[in-house]
Amino acid sequence: MGDGGTTYSGVNPNAVWLNSRGIWLSYVIAVTILHLVLLSIPFLNVAQAWTLTNVVHNIGNYIFLHMLKGTPWETNWDQGKSRLLTHWEQIDFGEQFTTTRKFLFLAPVILFILASFYTKYDPLHFIINLSTMLLVLIPKLPQLHGVRIFGINKY
Amino acid sequence: MNCSNVGRKSPQDYESAPFLAACWTYISLAILIMFGYLRDFLRRIGLDKNQSATERNKMKGFVPLYASFEGFFSRNIFKRAIHGAGKPICSPPTVEVDVLERTSDDENWHFRLTGKKRRCINLASYNYLGFAEKDGPCVHATAQALQQYGVGVCSSRQELGNYNIHEELETTTARFLGVEDAITFGMGFATNSMNIPVLMGGKGCLILSDEKNHASIVLGARLGGSVIQVFKHNDMDDLEEKLRDAIISGRPGTHRAWRKILIIVEGIYSMEGSIVKLLDVIRLKRKYGAYLYLDEAHSIGALGETGRGVTEYWGVNPRDVDIMMGTFTKGFGAAGGYIAGSKRLINHLRTYSHSTTYACSMSAPVAQQVISSMRIIMGEDGTEIGKLRIAQLAANAKYFRRRLRDMGFVVCGDDDSPVVPFLVCVPGRILAVMEELFERNIACVTGTFPATSITKGRARVCISAAHTQQMLDKALDAISEVGDRLQLKYSL
Repeated sequence: MGDGGTTYSGVNPNAVWLNSRGIWLSYVIAVTILHLVLLSIPFLNVAQAWTLTNVVHNIGNYIFLHMLKGTPWETNWDQGKSRLLTHWEQIDFGEQFTTTRKFLFLAPVILFILASFYTKYDPLHFIINLSTMLLVLIPKLPQLHGVRIFGINKY
Repeated sequence: MNCSNVGRKSPQDYESAPFLAACWTYISLAILIMFGYLRDFLRRIGLDKNQSATERNKMKGFVPLYASFEGFFSRNIFKRAIHGAGKPICSPPTVEVDVLERTSDDENWHFRLTGKKRRCINLASYNYLGFAEKDGPCVHATAQALQQYGVGVCSSRQELGNYNIHEELETTTARFLGVEDAITFGMGFATNSMNIPVLMGGKGCLILSDEKNHASIVLGARLGGSVIQVFKHNDMDDLEEKLRDAIISGRPGTHRAWRKILIIVEGIYSMEGSIVKLLDVIRLKRKYGAYLYLDEAHSIGALGETGRGVTEYWGVNPRDVDIMMGTFTKGFGAAGGYIAGSKRLINHLRTYSHSTTYACSMSAPVAQQVISSMRIIMGEDGTEIGKLRIAQLAANAKYFRRRLRDMGFVVCGDDDSPVVPFLVCVPGRILAVMEELFERNIACVTGTFPATSITKGRARVCISAAHTQQMLDKALDAISEVGDRLQLKYSL
């Protein structure tokens, strides 16, 4: 019915709302708005604006998908099972390699490629962009599903 | 009349949120969430007064009972709109209802009544046949029953709470539905949650439940401990696929055959307004040997030529449905629920239902209300009121839906259902619809994420047989005005 984000009673909406209609376009629009805002700051040149876009996007991505756990609404239905999971781990109920996960995996990669191009492959910018991209791509690997390194962010 | 639903595209297959409205929804939610974080931060540093529940100082070192993140939506997003929900009313929920106005001095954390009343056209109550009235034959009979039996029952059915009026209610219900026997309970929600575990307890049971089934069905299915699989809303191909998979692969782990498979569907889904494709469900049930549980909470009394529900609507013999369930809260203006079917089934429930053993039985005046309204619908009171009301409801529903569609709203559900939801999508607009309609003296109900899908926030209208043409026109004019103001006419 044109909307993959429907839920049924007793299921975590956090797992499916990213499949809804118009998410991809809205994501692109949001990143574009962020980039335009950064571009309009007078003392930043183009290269810095692109790197900042990349960095801010990746930090936001990390915080919302891999740092915050649980759901912003009460989870009466699953007895707290999703309270210990980050949003990334909740997507599609833990199923790997779904379309949403592929999209969210590719977004930082595409931004990295664009940022590298617009910064003319400058070494410092490259290191910054690469490290934030790795920061946000490594937690998305299926091998790291549910892994908490050194117990950080476990509870 | 068709012999099958196969190949017929119903309107519910087409409606989806318009693309740009969906994008606006995400952007507005993002802005709301950003402000939510800002307000939480201000509360943390003390610049903003923290009105939500906090742990006592004594318990500071203990693991907190609630994560503050879980209350994020409730604190920051729903609190902005909570004045639209839970409005106190001070008159019976007939076609017009007196709503008490209230204000808040601290941004919806606490309310106080202003003392003013507002008489609104009631598009929110489930009053399909107009039996929620203050006067009339039902009320007189109920008052008499009140004199005779009092209010409280003070016992469960199996102890000393089995009145002759309960027995009369059950025979009347069975006669109304055209089945062998029926059993009634004091609460509609509890009818599902207390009886599905009895029917589907034990190992080896599979429940195939529709996506949009009510919370009472979900709770009942879970309490019984059976395996639950969900099929897409009203999607008969998905149901057939799941049935085949279940029968072919058997139980998880052992792959032995299932002991029993139960398909649970509703007659009319209250938030979607869609009618179940009953012909297909029965065809699949016969083909694969599953049982069928039909929850007619919203469709009993409201569908069918003589008000017998969704079985009459589709021309299905009620004996084809193994377990018929329904509630008296909507079409009959009372309270409680029933389960109807074969004598064997009902006898089993009389003995084993949790409700008959532990819960108090229905209050006698309420039972009398059901009996009177049922007899009116059946025409046994000697008048034509029942027939007229059913015809009026069908006409009202069709008229309202057609007019809304013509105006350009995206209306969900089937043409004959008296539940008319229309899409609003953007959260700010959902609150605005509620407020604007209330300003124009119309009371209606809205639903938003996470209760509905994130892009399908909606406002819902429940049509009643007692609505006159003028009331409906006045409501439609108001909705059209609000729709123009808030740009809700997505189909244009």
